[in-house]
Amino acid sequence: MSRARFYLVGFSALVLVDTWTQLSFKLASHQTGEFVMTTAWLKAAVASPWIYGAIAGYLSAFFTWMTLLKHAPVGPAFAASHLDVVTVLMLSALLFGEQLSALKIAGATCIVLGIVLLSLSESKDVTARATVD
Amino acid sequence: MSSLAIFVWIASVFLDTAGRLTFKSAAMTERETELQRWKSMLRSPWLWAGIICFCLEFAVWLALLSLIPLSQAVLIGSINIVVVMIAGRLIFHERLDGLRLAGMSLIAVGVALAGGFA
Repeated sequence: MSRARFYLVGFSALVLVDTWTQLSFKLASHQTGEFVMTTAWLKAAVASPWIYGAIAGYLSAFFTWMTLLKHAPVGPAFAASHLDVVTVLMLSALLFGEQLSALKIAGATCIVLGIVLLSLSESKDVTARATVD
Repeated sequence: MSSLAIFVWIASVFLDTAGRLTFKSAAMTERETELQRWKSMLRSPWLWAGIICFCLEFAVWLALLSLIPLSQAVLIGSINIVVVMIAGRLIFHERLDGLRLAGMSLIAVGVALAGGFA
């Protein structure tokens, strides 16, 4: 597999499993109902099949991340690991009919730009270290 | 957001940050071989404190999603990135350059907008 293809597949896989995890969490919360500090609520959480979807998602994300980091630069990898914000936002509107107000979209735009800046800074750090070595 | 949702959100940010910082403390051990390094990490109370934080965080995140829309939760949850970087600076003296400060500020503004705090 070429390097570009490896990155593309790896980053897409990471965004995909992270998105899956968040959707599973939300579906599990439909089964538990609104949070109350009781053992009944916790029992409902453990009984929800979606909670195991979320656990599977976390484990897959961990292994995808570790595989990706063997080859990929940490900056873009860092950004990709947080860009599930965008996919989760779109899917929560599509699947759960959540309202995406102008404020939410403005907030999401700022957050994504911020993540891109952070990943640029990480990439610069790694290049600097590589030059010193 | 209700005050319960805000409380649960703060708890989630706290647990996530504590988990990452304790993992970082556990990972900072230097040993001759990789196997020895893992053995010493497994004996480190930091690692186990971190695991407990992440298990609690799992339940707290579910609690948050039961109270507010998923789209809002992922957006305001992004504040973790900023809090972890500030903590990394204070505790481990990690470097914060202009780009990082700009990125952190943008995320903070985004969280304020999405959370309806602005």
